[in-house]
Amino acid sequence: MKELSEVLQDWEAVIGLEIHTELTALDTKMFCNCKLSHDDEPNANVCPVCLGLPGALPVPNKKAIESIVKAGLATNCEIQKHSMFYRKHYFYPDMAKNFQTTQGPVAFAMYGHLDLDVTGQGAAERPDCAFGAAEAESLASASANAEGLSTFMTSQMREGNQRAGHLASYDASNMQMPERRADGCYTVPIRILRIHMEEDAAKMVHVGGAEGRITAAAESLVDYNRCGTPLIELVTEPDLRTPEEARLFMEKLRRIFVTLGISDCSMEKGSMRCDGNVSLRRRGETKLGTKTELKNLNSFKSLHDGLAYEICRQAEVLEEGGIIYQETRHWEPSRKRTVVMRVKETADDYRLFPDPDLAPFDLNDAFIENCREQIPELPDAKRARFEADFGIKAADAEQIAGDPAYADFFEKAAAGTSGKEAQTVANLLVNELVGYLKSAGTALDESGIAPVQVAALAKLLASDAISSNQAHEVFELMAQTGDDPNKIVDERGMRQVSDTGALQPIVDEVLANCADQAQQYRDGNQKVLGFLVGQCMKASRGKGNPKLFNELLRASLS
Amino acid sequence: MALNIDSLTASQIASGIAAGDFTATEVAHASLDAIEARDGAVKAFLQVSPELALDAAAHIDAARAAGEALPPLAGVPLAIKDNMNLVGTRTTCASRMLENYESVYTATCVERMLQAGCLPMGKANMDEFAFGSSTESSAFHRTNNPWDTERVPGGSSGGSAAAVAAGEVALSLGSDTGGSIRQPASLCGVVGLKPTYGAVSRYGVVAFGSSLDQVGPFGRTVEDVALAMNALVGAGHDPYDCTSQDCPVDFLEHLEDSIEGKRVGIIPSFMEAEGLTLEVKQAVERAAHELEAQGAKLVEVDLPHLDAAIAAYYVIGPAEAFSNLARFDGIRYGYQEEGCANLTDQSSLSRAHGFGAEAKRRQMLGAYLLSSGVYDKYYYAAQKARTLITQDYNRAYEQVDTILMPASPRTAFKFGEISDPTQMYLSDLYTISINICGNGGISVPLGLGGDTHLPVSAQLVGPAFKDRQLLTFARALERGIAGGMSVAPDFAGKGGEL
Amino acid sequence: MALSEKDVRGIAEYAKIALTDDELTEMTAYMNNAVSILEPILQYDLPDVEPTFHPIGSLSNVMGDDGLEPARDLPLDVALENAGSARDRYFRVPSILGEGESE
Repeated sequence: MKELSEVLQDWEAVIGLEIHTELTALDTKMFCNCKLSHDDEPNANVCPVCLGLPGALPVPNKKAIESIVKAGLATNCEIQKHSMFYRKHYFYPDMAKNFQTTQGPVAFAMYGHLDLDVTGQGAAERPDCAFGAAEAESLASASANAEGLSTFMTSQMREGNQRAGHLASYDASNMQMPERRADGCYTVPIRILRIHMEEDAAKMVHVGGAEGRITAAAESLVDYNRCGTPLIELVTEPDLRTPEEARLFMEKLRRIFVTLGISDCSMEKGSMRCDGNVSLRRRGETKLGTKTELKNLNSFKSLHDGLAYEICRQAEVLEEGGIIYQETRHWEPSRKRTVVMRVKETADDYRLFPDPDLAPFDLNDAFIENCREQIPELPDAKRARFEADFGIKAADAEQIAGDPAYADFFEKAAAGTSGKEAQTVANLLVNELVGYLKSAGTALDESGIAPVQVAALAKLLASDAISSNQAHEVFELMAQTGDDPNKIVDERGMRQVSDTGALQPIVDEVLANCADQAQQYRDGNQKVLGFLVGQCMKASRGKGNPKLFNELLRASLS
Repeated sequence: MALNIDSLTASQIASGIAAGDFTATEVAHASLDAIEARDGAVKAFLQVSPELALDAAAHIDAARAAGEALPPLAGVPLAIKDNMNLVGTRTTCASRMLENYESVYTATCVERMLQAGCLPMGKANMDEFAFGSSTESSAFHRTNNPWDTERVPGGSSGGSAAAVAAGEVALSLGSDTGGSIRQPASLCGVVGLKPTYGAVSRYGVVAFGSSLDQVGPFGRTVEDVALAMNALVGAGHDPYDCTSQDCPVDFLEHLEDSIEGKRVGIIPSFMEAEGLTLEVKQAVERAAHELEAQGAKLVEVDLPHLDAAIAAYYVIGPAEAFSNLARFDGIRYGYQEEGCANLTDQSSLSRAHGFGAEAKRRQMLGAYLLSSGVYDKYYYAAQKARTLITQDYNRAYEQVDTILMPASPRTAFKFGEISDPTQMYLSDLYTISINICGNGGISVPLGLGGDTHLPVSAQLVGPAFKDRQLLTFARALERGIAGGMSVAPDFAGKGGEL
Repeated sequence: MALSEKDVRGIAEYAKIALTDDELTEMTAYMNNAVSILEPILQYDLPDVEPTFHPIGSLSNVMGDDGLEPARDLPLDVALENAGSARDRYFRVPSILGEGESE
C-alpha cells in the first residue's frame, strides 16, 4: 500500500465523525432514576423503565437536557427551541424496548462549528493543493452529497423540511477557508451538523466462541446497567480531510466537554466513542465516493491510524480498478488493519416517529440563558488569556487550558507572576507534574501536590537558586513528602551559590590549576569551557550556579 | 334481612364500613362469594386475588379499630383490567405472551385506587393487549355479557364492565384507546368514563396506543364513578408520566347541579349514520328530550372532519402499537420459544406464538405504516386529521357545553357475529374521535332497548379537562331516565351476602 | 399499490413475527384491506395544517430531577424473575449468528 502522504496528493479524503459522549457527570440515567455507573455488578442498576418493562414510561432528566444545551452553546451551535424525542426501532437485545429513544430531524443543537488549529508535524498531512478556493468548492460539494441517517432525517423527513436549506444556516461570518501559514500550520473550520440527545444501549458479552467474537459465540449475556445512560451524539459535516484533523477535532471536543463538566470523556472507559465515515475522491472531483464506516476507534491513536489505514486501503482498491462497498469496518489496532463487520445493502429503516410518551420541548430563553451562565471559561479563551496574562508559550497554554484541573492548578501556582516565572510554573506542570502523576499512577486532585509548592519551586528555579536538574529532584521529594521546596533545598544544602564574590575565588583557583585548558580556550577551543565549568562545580561541591561560573570563566579568560 | 353486596354502591359500602354496619373483611368475603357464585357463567376475571383483597380489608378494619379516619373508598371491591400492573398478581394483557408475567411494580392508577381504600379483587379479562371491541381476542377465555351470556360484553375492557354489571364488584378500572371503556359500559349497562387524556397517569398500564390510551373507571352509578375519579386524579400530576397533568377538582362537587341553561350539542350526521340501530337512536333521542326537559338547550353542531377519525385512528393506533409491542421479544420477560438455535428464530417464533392473530395484524400494519416513504404519507396525514378533528370539537365547544351521541351503534352482539377484523373496526365509529382529540367521554345507561331488550346507552363528550361537567350531565340523565341501572337480573343476589 | 406477499414477508421479518405460508396469505389480504380503509386519510395531508403528535395541548418541557430513587430499583432476583433464560447476573440470549452489531 502507498503511504498516506502519497495517497493524499492524488486523492481527497472526505471524513466525517460521529462522536458519542456519555454524560458521566450526571447521577442518574436519561429517562429514569437509576444510578449511572461503569463498575457495578451486572444488572445492579435497573428499574422498570430502563428494563423496558410493560407499562413503564420515560421521564427526561433535566440535567441531561441542560448538559446538551451547554455542549451546543460551547460548539457555536444554534439551540433549537422546539424539538421532540423520537423512537428509533431495531430489534436487538441491547435495547430493552427494541427502540432507542433519540431525537429526530431537529436536534437540541444544530449548525455549529469549531475552528481547528492544525499545528506541528500533523499539519503536513494536508497537502498544499488542499487550500484556498479549491477547498471552498470541496466543502460545499461534500456537504451537499453527504448521506447518513442524520442528514436523511434533516432533509427527507417532513419535520425537518423547514430546515432543508440548512447549509445556509451556518454562521459563515467566522468561517474562513484554511490558508497555510509560514510555519506550515493552518486553521480550518469544522462544521457541526447537530448534537442530539439519546440513550445508550446495554452491554453484551458474547461467550462460548473464540476471542469473544459475536459470530462464533454460542450465547450472549446482557447487562442493562448501561442501558438508558444519557448520551449525546455529535455529527460533523464531512469537513475533515486528514486523519490528523480528525484526531485534533476529537481532542479539542474532548477538552471542551471536560471543561463543561458534563463527562469524564474517557475513550479508554468508553464514555467517549467515535465512529468515522470516510470516502475518497480524485482531487477536483465534486461527486463523493462511496463511504465506509469505521468502528472501534477507541483512542486518539486509533482514530488517526484507523482512518489513515482506511484511506490508503480505499486508494489501493480504487487504483486497482476495484469498487468500495458501503460497509461497516472494524479497526484492529494490533494488526493495523480494518476488517468488514457488515455490508449495508439497503439503508436501514428504523421506523422513526415522535415518541408519544414524551412531551415536546419548547425551550425558552430563560432556560437557555441559565445554561449559558453555567458555562465556564472555555479552553480557547483560557489559552488566549494564559498567553496574554502570563506570557507563557502557546503550546503550553493550550495544553494547560485544555484540562480544567491543570488550568485551575496553574492559575493558583502562577498567580501574580508573569514572564519567566510564569513560564517556569508552566514548564513544571507540563514536564514535572504530568510525568510524576503518570509514573505515580494518580490524578492531580488525589496527588496531594499543592499549587503553592509548585509556585515556591518555580521561584527557586527562576531565581537560579537551584538548577533544573535539582528541580527535578526537589519535585519528586516535595511530591512524596508534601514539604515546602524551600525546606527541602535548605535541609539538603541544595541552594546554589549565585554570589559572584563567593564564586570568583573558585574560578581563579580552577584556572590556576588548569592552565593548559585555559590556554586551549584562549587559542579558540570553545568546547573546553564545559570542562572548566565542571571543575568549578566540583570545587564548589555542586553548589555554585553553573551559569554564573560560565560567565565568570568567560570574563576571566577574555 | 340479608343484605347483598351487589345492592350497594361504592359510596354506600364505604359509608357502611365507616358507620360500623359491616367490616371491610365482610365486604371482601361477600365480593369473593359473589365472584365464586357468578363468575363461572360471566368469566369476567382472569385472576382473583383473595389474599390481596383480604389483606387490604384487614388494614382498613384495623385502621377503623384504631380510630383512624378511613379513606373515601375504604373497603370497596375493585376489579382491575389485566393490562395494569399490580404487585402480587400476574399482568397478562389476556395474552399467551404474558401468561406467566409477574408484576414487579404497581401502576399509579391502581396504587391510587388502593390508597383510596379499594380492595383489589382481581384482574379482569380483556381483548388481547386491548385490541378489539368484544373481548373475544382474549387468549384465555371469552367473557359473557351478564345481560345475555350468549353475547359479548364489548371490549376491550369487557371483563371490567361485566364484573360491575354482574354485581361482583362495585367499581372497576378499564382503559380506553378507541372506546374500550365506553363501548363495553354501553353493552353491559354500566357507567363508564374515559377521562381527558392526561387526567389519569398511564404509568404501569401496558401501552397500546400511547397518545390514545387513557385509564378510567366503571361503576353502576355516576356518583361511584365520580368517587373513583377523585381517587385517580386527586393526587395530581404523576411524576412518572410526562403526559399526565394536574386537574385538581372534586368530582363530587356540582354532581347534583341543575343543567338548566346549558347547551347540549347534537351531530345530525351521527344520528343518521349507517349501522345505528333504531333502538339506540331512540334511546339517544329520549336522552336529548330528557336533558331538554331539565332546561338544557339542544343545538345542532357540525364537525366536518369527523369522517377522517376512523382512518386516522387505524393509522395512529397500529403505528404506536407496533412500537409499544416491539419490546415483547421473549428475552427479558414473556413467552420464550424453547430450543431455538439463534436469536432471530427465538424472537420471531416467540412473537409468532406468543401473540394472537389480532395483535400480530395490528403490529404488522403499524410496521408498514411507519416504514420509510409510507410514514410520510399516512402517519403525517393522520396527525393532521387529528389537528382538524380537534379544531372541529373546539369550535363546537364554543357553542355547546357537551355533545350527546350514541356510544355504540347497537346493543351487545353475539359471539362470532363480527368476524372480519376491518368490520369490527367500524363499530368504534362513535367513540374513536374522542381518543383522537384526547377529550373526555362518558357512557350512561338508558335502560333496555325496545328491540333486543339489552342495555342501551348514550355518550356525552366534552372539552378537555371538563370531565367533571360530563359527570353533571350524566347524573342528570341518570336521575331522569335510568335511576341508576341495576345489576343484570340473572345474577343479582346470587351469592355475595353480607 | 397493493402489497405483495413478498412485501409482507419483508415486514414480518423486520417485525420479528414468523409467519407460515398460510398466515402470510391471510396477512397479505388483511393488510391490503386495512390499507384500503385507510386510503381516505391521504386527502387530509393539507399544507396549512400542523400535525398533532401529542394530544396534550401546550404541555411541554416535562422533565425530572437528576436524583436517585432507590425505591424504584429492582433487586437482581426481581429483575430476572420474568426472564425466559438467565445466567449468573445476566439475561441470556442464544447465538446471534449472522446478525449485525448494534450502533
